[in-house]
Amino acid sequence: MTPRPQDDTQNDAIDVTADIPANPPQRALRLHRELDEVWRDLPGWRGFFTSVNHSTIGKRFMATAFVFFAIGGVLAMMIRAQLATRDGAFLDTELYNQIFTMHGSIMMFLFAIPMLEGLALWLLPKILGTRDMAYPRLSALGYFCYLFGGIVIVLSLLFGVAPNGGWFMYVPLTDKTYSPGINADVWLLGVTFVEISAMAAAIEITVTILRCRAAHMPLTRMPLMGWYLLGTAVMMLVGFPPLILGSILLEVQRAFDWPFFDVARGGSPLLWQHLFWLFGHPEVYIIFLPAAGALSTIIPILSRTTILGYGALVAAVIGLVFLSFGLWVHHMFTVGIPHMALSFFSAASALVAVPTAVQVFAWIGTMWEGRVQFRLPMLYIMGFFATFVMGGLTGVMLAMVPFNWQAHDTHFVVAHLHYVLIGGFVFPMLAAIAYWMPLICGRWRVRGLGEAAFWMIFIGFHGTFFIMHLTGLLGMRRRIAVYPENAEWEWLNLVSSGFGMVQAAGFALFAFDVVMQWMFGRRSWRNPWQAPTLEWAMPLPAPSYNFASLPGPRQPDAGALLALARGEGLLAGAPRGWRETLAVEPGSGKPQHVAVLATNTALPVATAAAIGSFFGLMLAGLYWLAPLGIIATMVVVWRWGALMGTERDHPPVQVAPDMALPLHWQVRTTLGQTGTMVLLVADATLYGSLLFGVGFLTVVAPGWPPPDSGVGTGWMLLLALAALALMAAGAIAARLAESRRAQAGGRVWTRIGLVLAGLALVMLVGLGWGLDDPTRHARDALRGAILGFAVVHGVIVLMLALRSHVDARRGRIGLERRGAVPAWQLFQVFWLGTTAASLAVVVAQEVLA
Amino acid sequence: MIWLARALAGPMLWGALFSAVYALHGAGCNLGWIDVRLGPADLHHAAMWAVWAAGLAVHVLLVRTMPAGQGRQRKIITAASWIGLVASAFTLFPVIATSTCF
Repeated sequence: MTPRPQDDTQNDAIDVTADIPANPPQRALRLHRELDEVWRDLPGWRGFFTSVNHSTIGKRFMATAFVFFAIGGVLAMMIRAQLATRDGAFLDTELYNQIFTMHGSIMMFLFAIPMLEGLALWLLPKILGTRDMAYPRLSALGYFCYLFGGIVIVLSLLFGVAPNGGWFMYVPLTDKTYSPGINADVWLLGVTFVEISAMAAAIEITVTILRCRAAHMPLTRMPLMGWYLLGTAVMMLVGFPPLILGSILLEVQRAFDWPFFDVARGGSPLLWQHLFWLFGHPEVYIIFLPAAGALSTIIPILSRTTILGYGALVAAVIGLVFLSFGLWVHHMFTVGIPHMALSFFSAASALVAVPTAVQVFAWIGTMWEGRVQFRLPMLYIMGFFATFVMGGLTGVMLAMVPFNWQAHDTHFVVAHLHYVLIGGFVFPMLAAIAYWMPLICGRWRVRGLGEAAFWMIFIGFHGTFFIMHLTGLLGMRRRIAVYPENAEWEWLNLVSSGFGMVQAAGFALFAFDVVMQWMFGRRSWRNPWQAPTLEWAMPLPAPSYNFASLPGPRQPDAGALLALARGEGLLAGAPRGWRETLAVEPGSGKPQHVAVLATNTALPVATAAAIGSFFGLMLAGLYWLAPLGIIATMVVVWRWGALMGTERDHPPVQVAPDMALPLHWQVRTTLGQTGTMVLLVADATLYGSLLFGVGFLTVVAPGWPPPDSGVGTGWMLLLALAALALMAAGAIAARLAESRRAQAGGRVWTRIGLVLAGLALVMLVGLGWGLDDPTRHARDALRGAILGFAVVHGVIVLMLALRSHVDARRGRIGLERRGAVPAWQLFQVFWLGTTAASLAVVVAQEVLA
Repeated sequence: MIWLARALAGPMLWGALFSAVYALHGAGCNLGWIDVRLGPADLHHAAMWAVWAAGLAVHVLLVRTMPAGQGRQRKIITAASWIGLVASAFTLFPVIATSTCF
């Protein structure tokens, strides 16, 4: 390994007092047995339904994602078979529509996102030096939502009711008039169900990176993969809510005729396009960033040097995270937007190439300075460079409005997006799998198969998609099943289809190689790549608990493998029989407390099933039974809360000589509190997207101003103000419940808060009776949606207040114990703030009208 | 965490400024500001110029005041502050270059 002389880590602000003395060494085998007893999964099928361990869940995510990838790949081959000749009779038009829609939807929602979630869940605790993700049960819940939702979506294809409106589901094609069947509902409900897993992953990735790193690992010395995944998670938190909101609004329009997107009643199809691409373009970077993180990890290792420009790469990640939210309109350049707005988004689309280029040059510079080893992961990285750079360049072409107008909806765009997504995600992911497989399965691969698979994929890919640039430039539109009038496209398509089959065979060979490695590969030696990062400071395959003792300043890298196994790090073993890990201060990594994580439980699968029952009833059109699914979900979620908390104070835990830390029940800044705040960021984005919808339709949609409203009556305003006053009083009660938690007054204030939340909720429901008919005009529908948002949050606040009250009665609230009160406080303030903003919007609408 | 907030200040200001100018663009077109003369320009252009210029001024302030700490921390804050300034200058320069509502 060649250390970089100019590496600036030595100049970084590090707490020089951070040294933590080592624990005395113990027998490694005894520690292993003690920890494995606590952390391992239950055997057999019980293990499948009850495991919450990040390694298990992460591997399941990745394996399931590859199954969906295979299904999506078969669909792609069917598309290529159809297009191989100009009068292809392989598929009829309706089936072709379903297949290209399902191909895109599966690859985006059931492969790419879950694959990155799986990699993050499996890898993050290992590279950060901790034992699990911050919320193990949430990991499992996300997996089962993904699995159940994915199965429903795929089954719809077998039953002939698969989505058929394209993977971005434009209205009016997908509204009830033009898509009367359940095809569009499958997409809207199925994808929303699956995206619960994305939101769950985003929250816990964020909290894990900020709060669960190795002791005294500051953010500025965190492995770059941590920065990339932090950027990804933040983008998911802000990027997914617009899609979830859009899906809810479109489903409500389809189910109840609320006209959000109906031009005749004040709606606009462009609102769907905005909401979709507000998610859809950042999605490209959500997919790219983890892949770039893998590249930033693997390239220096296989170049036998350190990464060039750590700070520049972090700045590039920050730039990408923000700029990627200013590009979405370049997907809508042809819808008739004024020149100035086009220019804003065209400029942003071009500018985003700069931080991307910074990364590419940093990686090339790293390889230039080191000694590159052309082992299998590096072959895929070379494939990435060749492919992604070309995709990026065609992206800059498409960012230019005049060219975009010419190439819009042609196969040129199809070629571009595959160059970006396969180049920027699939090649790096294949490199990542080849790199981390020894850690996953403890075995070394069979020589030769992987290389053959790479060349088949690489040649097959470029043979398939490079030609699509040409067919696109010749004018071939995307999503057409036949082209009888254009014989000149035929030989190009035939060649493209032939190479497509080569590519598919390459992916099959890759999968075969992985299976062979897992089952028959020879045992791998420890740290086979001689990497310095912490994930290699453990036995192969990775044990259920990752580290027998947690890394600290004296165990900063993979060289500490034996010391950590002997318990010389922090928090050695599991002497209390709990799943314990360290929670740290977000910036510096200073240890703050010991978090006790959840153990094996069937609650996540039960919760996913309860949520699924709601989506299933909606899909079946049994709308008035659907609340039963919500009630079932609330019952199961109540059980989650019931398993948290403690009735007594516990003594501090000795994590190292001279260092004792409190358990998480006795601190305020718990992982749960951080997670609640992160969740509210996503919640606020959803609310902001709703307000964007109000503003957009107000200024853009035809048919405004709407008919006179009956809402302006005085009693409605009074009722709303009274509800706000009750919410404000509830916020005070929640605060007093915490500040007086050591006395009987704490319990009194939880009861008062509970009553206040209930009364406010009743008043909000009462407001619903006074609203105009939401099917009359988009403004009335939006008011219904805003009120619905407030009512849903009222129910959440009511449950948290009740949980706090029960906690107080059961002794879970005391001088050093707070129960659910901090979470209640946060949601109560959020409820108050968003409801007040909603009232201001409605009043402004009435005044301006 | 304060250093991270310093690093994010510039890009966040770009996000706020970009949203504000885009919203102002839509609202101005809807309200017919292009027909209201304001000296040599119309009200719509003038309003967007003003917001853009004010935003750039704040960006310059951030570039000068945000960097703190040493080593890698300072470098990241400096780079991120410049990212915000360049992004605001480049993505919103059309307010001085093109027509508004056509």
